[in-house]
Amino acid sequence: MLFNSFSFLACFAALVVVYYAIPHRRRWALLLVASLAYYATFSAAYVVLLAGVTLVTYVAGLSLGNASDRRVRNAILASGAGAVLAALAVFKYPGPGIAAIAGLSFYSFSCVSYLADVHGGRLPPVRHIGRFALYVAFFPKLLAGPIERARPFLAQITQAAHFSPGGVTLGLQLVLWGLFKKVVIADRLAPFVERAYGQPSLAPAADLVLATYFFAFQLYCDFSGYSDIAIGSAKVLGFDLMENFRRPYFSTSMREFWSQRWHLSLASWFRDYRYVPLGGSRVPRARHVLNVMAVFMASGIWHGANWTFVVWGGLNGLFTVMSTALTGTNMPRGFIARVLGAVVTFHLVLITWVFFRADTLADAITILTRVAGSAATVVPLTVVRLQTGDVMLSVLLIAVLLGIEGFDEVRPVWSRLTAWPLPLRWAAYYALILSLIVLGTWNLEQFVYLRF
Amino acid sequence: MHTEVRAFVGRAVWFVLIGLVIYGAVYAANERVIAQHAQRNRFFAIKNAPHDRYDYVILGASHAAVFGYRDMNTRLEQMTGARIMNLSVVGGGVMVARLLMEYFLARHDVGTVVYVVDSFAFYSSRWNEGRLQDTALYARAPFDPMLAALLVRNPVTRTAGLDYVVGFSKINNPDRFAPDVLPDEGNRFDRTYRPVPQIDRERINYLYPQGADARVRDRSLNELEALIASLQGRGVRFIAIKPPIPSRMQALLPLEDGFNATIRRVFERRGVAFHDLSGVANEDRHFYDTDHLNRAGVLRFFETALVPVLKYSTN
Repeated sequence: MLFNSFSFLACFAALVVVYYAIPHRRRWALLLVASLAYYATFSAAYVVLLAGVTLVTYVAGLSLGNASDRRVRNAILASGAGAVLAALAVFKYPGPGIAAIAGLSFYSFSCVSYLADVHGGRLPPVRHIGRFALYVAFFPKLLAGPIERARPFLAQITQAAHFSPGGVTLGLQLVLWGLFKKVVIADRLAPFVERAYGQPSLAPAADLVLATYFFAFQLYCDFSGYSDIAIGSAKVLGFDLMENFRRPYFSTSMREFWSQRWHLSLASWFRDYRYVPLGGSRVPRARHVLNVMAVFMASGIWHGANWTFVVWGGLNGLFTVMSTALTGTNMPRGFIARVLGAVVTFHLVLITWVFFRADTLADAITILTRVAGSAATVVPLTVVRLQTGDVMLSVLLIAVLLGIEGFDEVRPVWSRLTAWPLPLRWAAYYALILSLIVLGTWNLEQFVYLRF
Repeated sequence: MHTEVRAFVGRAVWFVLIGLVIYGAVYAANERVIAQHAQRNRFFAIKNAPHDRYDYVILGASHAAVFGYRDMNTRLEQMTGARIMNLSVVGGGVMVARLLMEYFLARHDVGTVVYVVDSFAFYSSRWNEGRLQDTALYARAPFDPMLAALLVRNPVTRTAGLDYVVGFSKINNPDRFAPDVLPDEGNRFDRTYRPVPQIDRERINYLYPQGADARVRDRSLNELEALIASLQGRGVRFIAIKPPIPSRMQALLPLEDGFNATIRRVFERRGVAFHDLSGVANEDRHFYDTDHLNRAGVLRFFETALVPVLKYSTN
C-alpha cells in the first residue's frame, strides 16, 4: 500500500479518527498494529524480518543498560549492531533478479543509531518493548525514512498528543504538497527519463540532456515528496519527524548540498555515526579527506551493490572535498556569486545523478560522452524538444516548483499561507488538489527510494 | 479545546462541500471536452448514434476494428446498402462484446450481429476481465446513468463502474485533448508490412499471455454462447466470421484447429452461420502489420467476402 494510493489515503483517514477517539495510553498499540499491518501489505515476510531486527536491537539495548564494563559494552554494541548490519547485508543485496526488502535499510539504521546512542550514554535503554517496536516500525517513516533518532521519537510516544487543528492542518498541507511533487511532477518525468536512460546509445543526445535534468527533479520530487507525506502524516498524528530536504537545488556548494539540504536524516546519520567517530574534521587534512571519502563511499554502497553507486559516492566525496577546500578561501559572497555557485553546484550534482540513475557504469559513460560529443548541436535540438506539449508542461511544473521553493527560501511558504485570508488560502489548496486530479499520474508508480 | 475542534470540523465540512461543488464543475467541463473530442469510443458512439435501428452491429477485437478505420464503415454501408455500427474494441474479448451489446440494446435495435472471431481473445482474461476493468476503456465514455447501472451491477466492472460514475479517470485522462483515433488508424493503415519472423513470434506471445489454456477458452465460449442466446432471445440474428490472417501467422497460432472445432460445435448448437474467411485476401501485401488488414486489404475483403456474406445472410 503506497502513499500515493487511494487505499492508503482512505485507511489513513480512518486511522486518524480512531487514533484521536481512543485514550492516549492505548494509542501506541494502535499505531504499532497499524504500522505492522501497513508493512504486511507489502509482504508478511517483511514483518518477520522487522520483528527479528527489532527484537535483537531491543535485547542488545537492554544488555547495554545492564552492563557497566566498557569492554562488555563494546562487545554488546558490536554484536547487536553487527547482527542488524549483517541482516542488512544479506537481505539488501539478495542477488540479481531478487528485489531488496523495502524499508530494511532505513529501519536498520534507526536500530544502529539507537544502539550507538545507548552505548554512548546519550539515551537510556527502552524497557517497554511495544514502544520500542513502534519507534522502529512507525509506518510513516518505515519504508524510506526520515531515519529518525530514538530520543526525540520516544519522548513523543509518551507525551499525550491532543488533537491540534494547527498541527493537523500543517500535516495535511505537507501530505498535499508531497503528493503534488510525487504524482504531478516526479511520475510525469519518470517515463521520459526511463525511455532515454533505458537505451542510452539509441536515444537522441537532446533527450539524454533533458532526461538528465528531468531525473534531478524526478528524484528530488519523488523522495522529498515521500518525506513530506511521511512527515505530514506523522504530524497529523501528533508526531514531529526530522526534516529531510531543504530546497537542495538552491545549494551554493556541494558541502552545503550534503550537510544542510539533501537527505538530511541520512547525511546526519553518517556524520554522527561514521564521520565523527573517524575523527571528523579535527584531524590532519589528508586524514580528513580520507574520512569524507570513506563516508561517501559507504553512502554509495548503502544505495546498492553496483559500481554506479560506488562512483556516485566517490564523485560526491571528491566534489565535497573540493567544496570544503574552497570554503576557506576568499570566495565572493554576493547575490550573483551565490546564483553562480548554485548553478555550478546543480550541474555537479547532475553529473553525479547520471551515475546514480544509469543501469551500468558503461551506460553512464555513454550518456556523458554522447552529451559532451554533441555539445554543438545538442542545445538547439534540446530547445526544439522543449516545444513539445508534454515536455513543455513538465518544464512549466518544474518552474512552478522552483518558484515556490524560491519563496520558501526567503520565508516558509506555510507560514505565508497562514497569513493569507481564508478564501485565498483555500483557493491555493483547491488548486493543488485539482492539479492532483487533473494532472496527476495515478498508476501507482513506486517511490524510487523504496528500492534502497 | 472542544470549541476549537468543533470549529475545525465545521471548517473541514465546508471545505469538503465547496470542493465537491468545484469537482462537479470540473466534471461538467470534462463532459463537454469528451463531447468535443470523443470519436472512436464505442460507448460514446452508442450514446450518440443517430439511428434507433441498425441492420448490422459488428463485434470483435482489433481485426474487426479495421473495418471501421477512417471511411471503411461508410464504404461498407454503401456496398451493402445497410446501416452498420462497428462496436469492436482493440484487445476486446467476448466479455467486452457482451457489455457493449447490452448497452447498445438498451438504447437501440439491430437486425444482425456479426461477430468477428479472434481465437486469441478467448484464451486470456487480459482481453476479457482485464479489459473490462481497464478504466481507459471508459475514459471517453460520456456519462449515462444506463451505462453506470450496467457497470455497477456487474461484479467484474463494479470498481471501474464506480470510477466511471465519479469520473476520476475521465478527468485525469492525459489524452483528453488528443484526437480520439487509434495510432494504427492514424499512422499505419495505408502501409504494407514486410514480415519479420521475430516480430511475428513476439506478436503471438503478446496475444497469448497465458498461453492456450483450454479452461479459459471454455469459459469464454460459455460467455459467447450466453451472448448468442440472449440475442436470439430478442430476435436478433447472429453470424460469425473468422477474419483474414496471413498463412504464416495462422501456422503460429497455438491449438487453432482444436479451437475451430470447439467453436464450430457452439455455433452448430445455437444454429449460427459460421464463415471461416481467414484464408481470404490474406496475402502479405494486404496487411499493415503482422496480422491487421491495411486499407487495400479491407476493401478487398469487403468486396470478395464480407459484403457477399452479409447479403447472403439477410436473404
